[in-house]
Formats: sequence, C-alpha cells, structure tokens
Amino acid sequence: MTSNYQLLPAEIAAPEAARPRMLLLATAFVSLATTMGFASLIGLYVATRADVIRTGETWLPRGVTIPLTQPNMMMFTMVFSAATLAWAIQAMRNDDRANFYIASAVTLLLGFGFVSQSAYLLTIMELDIRSIDRAPLFFAVIGTHMAITVAAMAYLAGMTLRALGGNYNARDLEGIYGATMFWYTTVGLYLVVWFAVYITK
Amino acid sequence: MAMTDTRPDDVAHDHHESRPSLASFDAALGSGDHKTTGRLWIGAGALMLAAALVVSLVAAIEHVDLGSLSMFDQEGQFVQIWSMGRILLLLGGLVPILIGIATFVVPLQVGASSLAFPRGAATAFWCWLVSTSLLIISYILNGGPAGGRTDYVVLWTLALGAMVLSVLWAMVCIATTIVGARAPGMDLDQVPVSAWSFFVFSLLGLFILPVVLGQLVLVYLDVKYGFLFDRSSRLSLLGIGDSLTLAPTLYWVGIPTLGIAIEAIAVHTGRPVRFHRSVMVALGGLGILSFGVDLLSYSSRGVAPVFDNGVLVVGLIVAALPVLAALALAGESLKTGSFRVRTPLVAGLLGGLVLLLAVVASILGTVWPIVTFIEDVFDTNVTLDSSFDLTATAFHEGIRALVMGAGVLGVIAGVHHWGHKIWGRSLDDRLGLLTTLTAAGGAIVWGIGGVVNGFLGEPALPIISNDVQDGVEALNGVMAAGAGLLAAAAVLLLLNIARTAFGGGSSNEPWQGVTLEWATASPPIAGNFATAPRVTSATPILDMVSNEVATTVSVDEEASEGVSA
Repeated sequence: MTSNYQLLPAEIAAPEAARPRMLLLATAFVSLATTMGFASLIGLYVATRADVIRTGETWLPRGVTIPLTQPNMMMFTMVFSAATLAWAIQAMRNDDRANFYIASAVTLLLGFGFVSQSAYLLTIMELDIRSIDRAPLFFAVIGTHMAITVAAMAYLAGMTLRALGGNYNARDLEGIYGATMFWYTTVGLYLVVWFAVYITK
Repeated sequence: MAMTDTRPDDVAHDHHESRPSLASFDAALGSGDHKTTGRLWIGAGALMLAAALVVSLVAAIEHVDLGSLSMFDQEGQFVQIWSMGRILLLLGGLVPILIGIATFVVPLQVGASSLAFPRGAATAFWCWLVSTSLLIISYILNGGPAGGRTDYVVLWTLALGAMVLSVLWAMVCIATTIVGARAPGMDLDQVPVSAWSFFVFSLLGLFILPVVLGQLVLVYLDVKYGFLFDRSSRLSLLGIGDSLTLAPTLYWVGIPTLGIAIEAIAVHTGRPVRFHRSVMVALGGLGILSFGVDLLSYSSRGVAPVFDNGVLVVGLIVAALPVLAALALAGESLKTGSFRVRTPLVAGLLGGLVLLLAVVASILGTVWPIVTFIEDVFDTNVTLDSSFDLTATAFHEGIRALVMGAGVLGVIAGVHHWGHKIWGRSLDDRLGLLTTLTAAGGAIVWGIGGVVNGFLGEPALPIISNDVQDGVEALNGVMAAGAGLLAAAAVLLLLNIARTAFGGGSSNEPWQGVTLEWATASPPIAGNFATAPRVTSATPILDMVSNEVATTVSVDEEASEGVSA
C-alpha cells in the first residue's frame, strides 16, 4: 500500500517488533525470588523464636523494647504509598503527566520516610547486635527489608525519570506497572515483618 | 525502545560471526550478544567444572584414610577443600554451563532475535566470574567454612552471595525469554522440550537459590559481629546451601539433563518427540515435586531433620514417577527410530539413567522413617537394622554424586548436540564418547560407593575418626576412583571444547533437528533469523518442509492442469 504520508523509503527494514511485557515478566520473576529469599529469613526468625520460647526464655533480650508507634506508622506509610502509586498509575492511564510526577514523587518521599523510620527504630530498640546470638536475626530481617525498599525506590525513580524523558503513555505503562509490582511486593513483605517481628515480638 | 531491550551492538555489524579467539576478548567483554555470552558461560563453566572435580578428587583421596590426614596439616584445611569442591561443582561448574547452553540455545529455539535483557545477561556472567574468583581466593586465604581468618570468611560470604545473585539474574533472563519472546504462533506448550526443561530449571532456581541468599545475610552478620568466631563454630557454614544439595531439591539440576536427553534422542533417532505435552508435564511434575516437597516439609515442621518427615518420604518416592515417565516417553523414539551411536544420544541416555538411579536410590532413604512411623502409629514391634537410619550419613553424598554425574552427562550431551551451532564446528565425537563413558562410570562408582557407605554408617561430614566399620575406607577408595573418573571426564570435555572453540573439528553440519535453532546458520547470523519465524506446532522445521512440498505439489498440479487444458 502506498501512502502520501510515507516518510521512510520502503527499502529500510521495518524495526524489530516491540516485545510486550518483558520488563513486567522479569519484574514478576524478581519479585518471586525476592519473596522467597525474604520468606527464608522470616522462616529462620520464626523457627529460632519458637526454639527460644520453648526453652522458657523470653525472645527479646533483657532491656530491649520494641515500641509499637514506629512500626504502626511505618505500616501506614507503606499502605499510603501503595495508594499514591495507584494514583500515579491512574494519572498515567489518563495521560495526565503532571499528576503522575506528583504521585510518584510523593510515593518516593513516603519510601524515604519508611527507610528513615526503620533506621530510627533500630536505634531506639537499644539492641546491640553483639549482645546476644539472636540479635543479628533482627538486623538481618529489618535490614534486608530496608534494602528491598531502597531497591524498589530506585526502580520507581528510574521509571519516573524515563517517563520524564518521554517514555510511557496511556497505552504503554509497562515499566511503571513493573515498578508498581515490585513496590507492592515490598509493601506485602513489610506487612509480614510488621506482624512477625513487631506485633508478636 | 527500552534501554533494557537494546539489541546487541554487534547486530549492526557483519552478518556472519567469526569464531571466538583470544584476540576477540575485548569484543566479548563489551558484547551483549546472547551467543557470545552463552559461549563465555560454557567455556568458563567447563574450566570451573574441571577445577571443581579435581578439588573434589583431592578431598576424596584425603578421605580414604579416615584415621589421619595425609595431605593437609589441619582438619580445617581438609574441610575447606571439601567445601570448595562441593560449591564449585554446583554453582561454579554445572549450573553455569547449563545457563550457558540455555543462554545460547533458548532464544534460537523460541525464534527470538536475542535473549531478554542481553546486556543484563552479559553482566550476570562477568559478575559471576569475578565472584567465583573471589570465592576461590577466599578459600586460598583461609576463609570459608572452618576458615581461620574472619575477613576472608566475610569475603567468602559476600562472594558466594554475589555468585548466587548472578546466577539468579541469568535465570530471570532465560525464563523471561521463554515466556515473553517466543516467535509469533508459538504457544508455551509448543516450545521444544529442552527449552521447557530450561524454563523449569530457571523457575526452580528462582525459588531455591534465594533461600541460600537469606541464609547468607544472616551468616554475614554472625561472622562480622563475632558469633562465629573460631574454626569449630564456622564448621556450621557447611550447612549453607544444604537445601540445594539434598534430595529431592537436588533433582532440579537433573531437569535440564532430562530435557537435553529427550531432545537428543529425538534428533539422533530421527523421531520427533511424539508425546510432547506429556513429556512437558513430566518435567514440570519433577520440578514441582523437587521443590514443593521441601517447601511443604519445612513449613510443616520448621527446620526439620531431612528424613524425619512424612511429606518428604512421600515426595522422594513419588519423584521417581516423572523421571520414569519422561524416560519412557522418550523411549518411544528409541523404539521406533534408528539408533545411531553418537555422543549426544549416548550421553543424554546415560544421564537420564543415572538420574533415575539417583531417584530410585533416594527411596532407600525412606525405609527407616517409614518403619519408625509404623512403629509409632500402630505400636508394633517392628525391628529394623539401625543401618537403615541414613539421616546424617554419606548416603546423601552418594545421591549427590549420582545427580551431579547425571548433570555432567547432560552437559556433555548438550555441548555435543549444539556444538556445531555454538562454535560453527563439531566437537570430536569419538573423544565425546570416551568422555561420556568415563563420566558415567565415575558417577556410578562414586555414587554407589557413597550410598553403600551410608548403610555402613559413615558420617556425612568429612571428619577424622578411628571409629569406622570394616569396608568403609575401602569404599572411600572406590569413591575416590569414581571422583577421579568424573574429573578426567571434565578435563576431556574442557579439552574438546577448547579444541573446537579455537578452530578444530569439522565444519560440516553433522545433523538436523526439527526445532527452530536448526532453521538458521551455524553459528547463527546476527539477529538469529533472516526473517521472523512463524510457528504453528512443536516441530516447525517439519511444518516448513511439508509446506514447501505442498506448495511444490500444488504448483506442479496447476502446471499439469494448464498443459492438459
């Protein structure tokens, strides 16, 4: 078919067909692996805790307290960040880029707030990592989740920057969906930490 | 186009690739082409496999005399060597070569122009190479399990973690390619059996390997903050990755062996796999059983002793079924096709049989818990020789040797089967047959020796002890001979690969298959296919041939009708 609007000569080969869902698929696999790795840590935590309690000892070493204010605030922060990310996606679906940037920035800010609160909580728990053999478990679980959150923030920031560069629109949201999937995995994992580490203590 | 989807830089250059040489090292370093990355994985993996098996041989020789040390000054050094052989064999040799074959072959088999995230896959390789080197350095500098220097134990932890992460990322690329980059018309149930086996293998890796990462995070903190402060406490690091090296989880390494074996049987008997979907179900079933059983047993009992668990017992018994089913379904091709004695066929077949031997031998480990269970539940007085309690014995070393041997045979089959596709030249088939027989003999001797030693009560860990039954040390000698044979096979494989990669071997295409990788040149052109293939069945080459025949016939008919008119 000929067209008056043909800009490229016919002898130039057609570009390679875009591969749909590749980034999303890879994110799904990475989320799966992240969940498995974190589940193994939580499994170790729960099993060790059960063993200690079975011997009649208390799980938290003497002098160590885990306040609930920070963990609860952190949970609200994470849940709220999930909502702001949904706002970002909805904005991009409507090609409303201004709202997308605002929502993404708010989400990243909430992520930063979460990491800060986690670090602060570790300092006020007064748990010295060298004090008792099970202390590293707390730091391993909380620290790993912090690292996953930072990775999710970097992923979302990268996709937001790409959107700033002109990528993504109402019909192509793959990277943003990918970042969202990983963010929601992070939120889900925190809910497990919140219950297994902070609530059950 | 996304940055992560960038096509390899060499795509824009000439259409036919040259064979790798030392001069093209700089090009390989910066390449994002899946074919180059695949070759690098295979080459480096083969080198590490040979090194790992030589190290395992040294440990096995030292282990012959259980009462004293002959080659090492301290027991700790012996433990380090033993541990190095064990980790390098799995994550340094076997898994990387399988990843290399998959990285090269899978995009061709599914009709893709490149691997998903080609530069990411290349990065995974280089990270793996650096981290494996650091792991070896940490062992040399007295790190690792039972290591005496804290800094190098920390280095060992970080290096092993980086190795696992690199392998994980490579597996993400492979799995994503199979799910997301298939040629138009190719449904997931139409991917070749070997590509499917690589998919199951990669997916299982994503389930299994992060567990090791989780353990390593904790170990890192324990070592860094002084809870594992001396050699004896650091012996516990031998337990890292235990879940990887015990049946049934260990069977995940054997899944690609089965896939390659079935593919090789189909090609070399001239009979395409007839029950394609059933074979896929069998391989998927083995994957689900090998991981699912462990998952269920751990979740039901916490960190339970390996065999003290009903789920595990049932799983170990049932796991034999998919292996049997896959081999029986492939046997149909053997029965109806012509049997040509070639390395891929013989190695694949022997690999499948050695895996079956491992799976069947594992069932012996369930006798003790079953009898104990009957005794507990029905309050009977069943008496059984305590030699059937194999919980912490060398029995598991035997099973491990069998599964690893099956993996090595699968690697031999795969490298020979696609050798011409990979390097543009065939590997020496006679040397390949010698390698195959040596590897099969080594795996069986090493494995059976370990299984029998388990019944004689030899402990699983490499310890110095004078309290051993008669025959244990003699069987340790047999195991060392088996390890030696397997090491010799790995060295022969490495020599064969090196010879081919640097220009030896025949340039004639030795055989043809019915899957898409055979529709392109050897080695494949840049971008893999001149035109994007369109697929309608699991045997696209047969479809192409039959379409050509049909077109020719219809043209001939039209011509003859024209003449008669």
